[in-house]
Amino acid sequence: MFLRIALFEIRFWLRSWMVWIFLFIIGLLIFGAVSSDNVQVGGSLSNTLHNAPFVIQNFYSFIALLTLLMSTAFVNSAAIRDFSHNTYQIIFTTPLRRIDFLLGRFIGATFVSVIPMLGVSFGILVAKYMPWVDPERWGRVDWAAHLKGIAVFAVPNAFFVAAVLFAIAVLARNEIVSFVAALLLLTGYGIAGALTQDIQHEQLAALLDPFGRRAFSFLTRYWTVSEKNTLSVGFDGLLLWNRLIWIGAGCLVFAAAYSRFSFAERRTKTKAVLDDGLQALLAEPAPPVTLIRPQLHDSLWPKFWGSFKIHFLGMTRSTFFIVIAVASLLNCIPSIALNATEGYGNHTLPVTYWVLDLIRGTLYLFVVIVITYYAGVLVWKDRDERMDEIADSTPTPEWISLSSRLLTLILMVMLMQTAALLGGIAVQAWHGYHRYQIGLYLYELLIRDASAFLCLGVLAFFIHALSPNKYLGYFFYIVFLAGNTFMWGPLNVATNLVQFAGTPNVVHSDMFGDAPYRAAWSWYTLYWLLFCGLLAILTVMFWPRGKQDRWAGRRRNAAQRFHGGWVSATLLCLLAFASTGGWIWYNTAVVNRVVGPKTLQRRQAEYEKAYKQYEKKPQPRVRSVKYAIEVYPESRNIVMRGEQAIQNPLAQPLEEIHFTIDPNYVTEIEIPGASLSKDDQKLYYRIYKFDSPLQPNETRTMHFTVKSRNRGFENDLSTVELVQNGTFFNNTIGPIVGYQSQRQLADPNDRKKFGLKEIDRMPPLERNCTDNCRETYLGGHSDWVDVQTVISTSADQVAIAPGSLLREWQENGRRFFEYKLDHQSLNFYSFMSARYEVAREEWNGIKLEVYYDRQHPWNVPRMMNSLKKSLDYYTKNFGPYFHKEARIIEFPRVARFAQAFPGTMPYSEAIGFIANINKPDDIDFVFYVVAHEMGHQWWAHQVIGANMEGATLLSETMAQYSALMVMEKEYGRDTMRKFLKYEMDNYLRSRGAERLKERPLLTVEANQGYIHYRKGSVVLYYLKEMIGEEAVNRALRKVIAQYAYAQPPYPTSYALVDALKEQTPADLQYLIKDLFEDITIFSNRTLDASAQKRADGKYDVTLKVETHKYKADAKGNETEVPVNDYIDIGAFARPAKNKKYGDTLYRQRIHITQKDSQFTFVTDSLPEKAGVDPFALLIDRVPDDNTKNVTLLSGTSVGKNQAARAIQ
Amino acid sequence: MELTIKSLSKTYKNGVKALDNVSLTIPRGMYGLLGPNGAGKSTLMRTLATLQEPDSGTVSLGEIDVLKQKDEVRRRLGYLPQEFGVYPRISAQDMLSHLALLKGITNSRERKQVVGAMLQRCNLYDVRKKALTGFSGGMRQRFGIAQALIGNPQLLIVDEPTAGLDPGERNRFYNLLAEVGEQVIVILSTHIVEDVMDLCTNMAIIHEGKVLYQGGPQAAISELNGRIWQRSIEKPELAHYEKTFRVVSNKLVGGRPFLHVFGEQPPGDGFLPSQPDLEDVFFTKIRNWN
Repeated sequence: MFLRIALFEIRFWLRSWMVWIFLFIIGLLIFGAVSSDNVQVGGSLSNTLHNAPFVIQNFYSFIALLTLLMSTAFVNSAAIRDFSHNTYQIIFTTPLRRIDFLLGRFIGATFVSVIPMLGVSFGILVAKYMPWVDPERWGRVDWAAHLKGIAVFAVPNAFFVAAVLFAIAVLARNEIVSFVAALLLLTGYGIAGALTQDIQHEQLAALLDPFGRRAFSFLTRYWTVSEKNTLSVGFDGLLLWNRLIWIGAGCLVFAAAYSRFSFAERRTKTKAVLDDGLQALLAEPAPPVTLIRPQLHDSLWPKFWGSFKIHFLGMTRSTFFIVIAVASLLNCIPSIALNATEGYGNHTLPVTYWVLDLIRGTLYLFVVIVITYYAGVLVWKDRDERMDEIADSTPTPEWISLSSRLLTLILMVMLMQTAALLGGIAVQAWHGYHRYQIGLYLYELLIRDASAFLCLGVLAFFIHALSPNKYLGYFFYIVFLAGNTFMWGPLNVATNLVQFAGTPNVVHSDMFGDAPYRAAWSWYTLYWLLFCGLLAILTVMFWPRGKQDRWAGRRRNAAQRFHGGWVSATLLCLLAFASTGGWIWYNTAVVNRVVGPKTLQRRQAEYEKAYKQYEKKPQPRVRSVKYAIEVYPESRNIVMRGEQAIQNPLAQPLEEIHFTIDPNYVTEIEIPGASLSKDDQKLYYRIYKFDSPLQPNETRTMHFTVKSRNRGFENDLSTVELVQNGTFFNNTIGPIVGYQSQRQLADPNDRKKFGLKEIDRMPPLERNCTDNCRETYLGGHSDWVDVQTVISTSADQVAIAPGSLLREWQENGRRFFEYKLDHQSLNFYSFMSARYEVAREEWNGIKLEVYYDRQHPWNVPRMMNSLKKSLDYYTKNFGPYFHKEARIIEFPRVARFAQAFPGTMPYSEAIGFIANINKPDDIDFVFYVVAHEMGHQWWAHQVIGANMEGATLLSETMAQYSALMVMEKEYGRDTMRKFLKYEMDNYLRSRGAERLKERPLLTVEANQGYIHYRKGSVVLYYLKEMIGEEAVNRALRKVIAQYAYAQPPYPTSYALVDALKEQTPADLQYLIKDLFEDITIFSNRTLDASAQKRADGKYDVTLKVETHKYKADAKGNETEVPVNDYIDIGAFARPAKNKKYGDTLYRQRIHITQKDSQFTFVTDSLPEKAGVDPFALLIDRVPDDNTKNVTLLSGTSVGKNQAARAIQ
Repeated sequence: MELTIKSLSKTYKNGVKALDNVSLTIPRGMYGLLGPNGAGKSTLMRTLATLQEPDSGTVSLGEIDVLKQKDEVRRRLGYLPQEFGVYPRISAQDMLSHLALLKGITNSRERKQVVGAMLQRCNLYDVRKKALTGFSGGMRQRFGIAQALIGNPQLLIVDEPTAGLDPGERNRFYNLLAEVGEQVIVILSTHIVEDVMDLCTNMAIIHEGKVLYQGGPQAAISELNGRIWQRSIEKPELAHYEKTFRVVSNKLVGGRPFLHVFGEQPPGDGFLPSQPDLEDVFFTKIRNWN
């Protein structure tokens, strides 16, 4: 019987349009995601095949989140249709069994819920045959993956969701409650995700995810590209358990719903009011009340205020709004309170701009939903409640109807924002952060963001006022928003003048506030508000009133309404709108330029096509530069004059010198005895011809002037490096000698679009290279240069240039500084100017300085400490430091990085300066970054790799190693374990997302950060563990001694690896090949760990372990190789309270030569964990299973034999 | 003041002709608009209430052009639509006060008095704090009447007002209407003939968008004097009688059909003369026999 009901239910839905529309939507979404780079659903595809089994299953694991609300519609209707349509009296009086009815409806609805999810398969299957897709990115159709995706994810997820929603629907019998519950489910899912984000809970989190998504990512987290392209998961391991748990949970929930369901009609929720009218009538009629003749007025303010009040109270009292507002806050406040991690599990101090960003990220999706939904509700309110005829026949002007509703909507939004604001402040207080920037909060939320929301609201009202029905109104509004978001890029339109409610993207910095963006933002906002004013007037004219079934009638109405004040208001608004638009146009497009995104790409492509031919052309080299720089922070302008010595390093004379020019600056170049032979003003490339060729070793002096041209305001800031407080620019804004490959298009798809071949990889690594090693990997046609600078800025700012400060003076109300490099350095440095506080200390005669914004003093002592400890370690173990100062300089958060220049290290305000390191267990991220950048003072600024594969091994990997050593000295080895776990995890995850080829360390590409940083840390630390710190440092000293500040040819990665090899004992020589030349991956696992108490109170510990060793190729294909390695085994005690790791009870290095081995050893106390490679020093696909909890066997062992027997 | 309707026509998008060249003159007092469901009454009422645009024709209320000076009309208008709902989560008093405000009673003290008095008159005072959504049909209708009467309308349009009211409530409502109807124009649309008979001095019968009769109810009845005949028959005979005679109405009396037939001459066959009533007028008019 229940089957018949289920079939009936399914047929019912298959005949409705809703299922098919939903299927179409999901199909289209997935189709877009796999066939176009502009659409992303649940993360990017990286370099897997677009129809790889992994991609299919990933979509299936994700799609339940998108179809949740669709399922709600089906399930809710299946559960309560009979109550809402009042057919229950018919149905429930038939001899139908409760179980048949409920189960039938439930199974039917579950089945129907799966249908939209199948859009995943349809989308992927169809997209493969589209003419524009690149066939190389598509594999054969893997039906098994589709089926497994449906079986493992779609069906169980639909089942669980349906069970929960069914239960809610049966209990509440209210559509809104069901939708709200669905939203809460989504929110709860998000929160649970955030709560379980920490790496420690990964397995538990995987089990707790009702959609199995995290179990899926847990199982596949270390999959390589080739695995993603070929493998699919079934009901395996953790995923099986996860599925069982949640299917079981679904059954339980359904059972609960079944037990509570009754066929009887429940009392209606709204309390019926007892009608005493009849009684009153039957009694003696009440004495007639005297009719009061009230005065009627046309005063509009009370009408407006009254209307607003009734709408506002009506909306904010509705359950749906309360629930969605609460859900949004549940999404928002905990994310602020928990602090998104900044790296290595660290937290950030809740500075206001950062809290604001979090509010935007977590709250605004809900705000947009509220605007979308409630604009429709408000416009259609009277008609939906059938109050329209009464309200419309009252003498109330249309503009009051509109404005009172609009105010309601915007205040609802502001209510949510204000709640988030208070939450943000509460979180700040809770974290002990007491710099409350109430003004900033109010301005950013209630002025900046709310004005955009107001525009959205007006637009939604306009659309709904014109729409013939509510759902079409929603549809058109969403289509418009989507078009407005995605259309302009492909159309190559960048100006905010046409993108609805478009304004420049403002980055608030504690250093400059919003000063650089303020003018442009204000004008654009005014422009769009005026536009919305016009839109609002149009909405008033067409405001629905009465029953109009024809457009002609509405047009006539509009014409009747448009008179008197409206005409002048419209003209005024139009005039203001047009003149604002004109002013913006003049500023952004006449005084400045608006360049479309496609035009920018085309220029990059043309630059490459025109000038790539000169990339290898010999050029004169820069030997020294003298700068005279004027910084004008208030107007965001600079003038940079340079006097630059150029020399011919070659044996042949040079005819030409080429320059690449920064398009954002006006550059003049003057070279005595040379003339301009080509001046490409579009692609910013210049060629000067020497009248008499530059002879070998001849040096000439050239001059250049570089001026910024910040006038008026721009559509989007082109020179973010020039700001009112926190100017930070590199020497590369000046003319750079030769072709610059950094200007090329990097994205492979973009390159293909413009007919460019694949981007050049770095030149192949050579041993004993000479000619190919004449350039560093930083390029720039220069070696070690002398730099001297006079830099001036406004009187309240400090300006900084490379080198020692020679003198400082005031002139014409401006501050002047003269700096000179103490030692020749790379031609790669920066200049900055801001109102800085300066912390100064000294270390062995070297000035240590931290330049910071006075609002960010917290981590300055840590930075100082790290500077000192770094200098301690590096000067002792690597070699001398050649500068007389070491500076850390804060710069605004227009960028998020720290970088090493000679003796100076700019450090973004968005990272270390606001890091919150207060728990003893935290990894000191600030300390680490400073140590890393200080490491670069040796590894990059003394020894720099030639432009060749493996170059970054000499700089980035060595800076990582340096920092690791300084950290280990400061914080001990346990902290290193935690740090290295993050590094290993990052490496293993990133290699699965590699788009091209994974390289071994020896030949790492300059952009493969996950290799030179992450793998580099793990590998060097392991090598140090194996051959000892002193041996490694001996090798490094040798490299420094040989190559520090050496003239070309520059060293390659062989220089380092060879030096390390020399220091490695004979029996460990295999390490060099494993670690640097190959991609070596282990799979170590402890199968069993047990302990038995001995008579002497000690413990016999027995381990059964498994060891596999693999070599991987560039695509991640692994080949198992025989194990012949020295690997640790060990055991740990239970950690003391508040400690992450227990004491090491046993540690022994074993030469392992077989896959399966068994070990027995004795510990003094009972270990908690034991295993192979217990410190996870080796790169291991799954480091977590290296150790296992030790089981204590009963009885007392007399000797080894008995213990061994007990295990067998 | 008079309401003058001239040549009003309205055809809906789906082709239905709701008003077909309707011309009426409606004086002060109670005016009944009688017609079967779908006759065009509501279209006419909505047009008069400024909620709908006719295709052609003019309407004037005294000096006011109803179709153009809508706000002028709305200031003088009380309107009870045939169907209406209420905002959720709002009490009778708050809603009535809001509507009073929209009608222009902006002085809050005055509004409070007016609303209180009106609630008493409509017998809603005791439940004024209760949510409207919990009201029974009759209570809701009384609320509708209250909102229509508030603000002393000079033109009161009530569309099918007694639907859902019990006999007592209907009486009370008629008393209310009669009280205000002396000074203002009251247009009462209904398909219940007794309503018109009891209350109205003037009336019009509308059918399929056309005005079939305009004048006093009594005059209409007199026209039928001596042309209505009655008798009761057995059920199986009904088909035969309906074929043979112009049957005006057929009611069950004591379980047997009781017929009124129309005829200039006595039809014989046991038919006796009958005293015509408005119902007979209504049915003969819409069948175009008279």
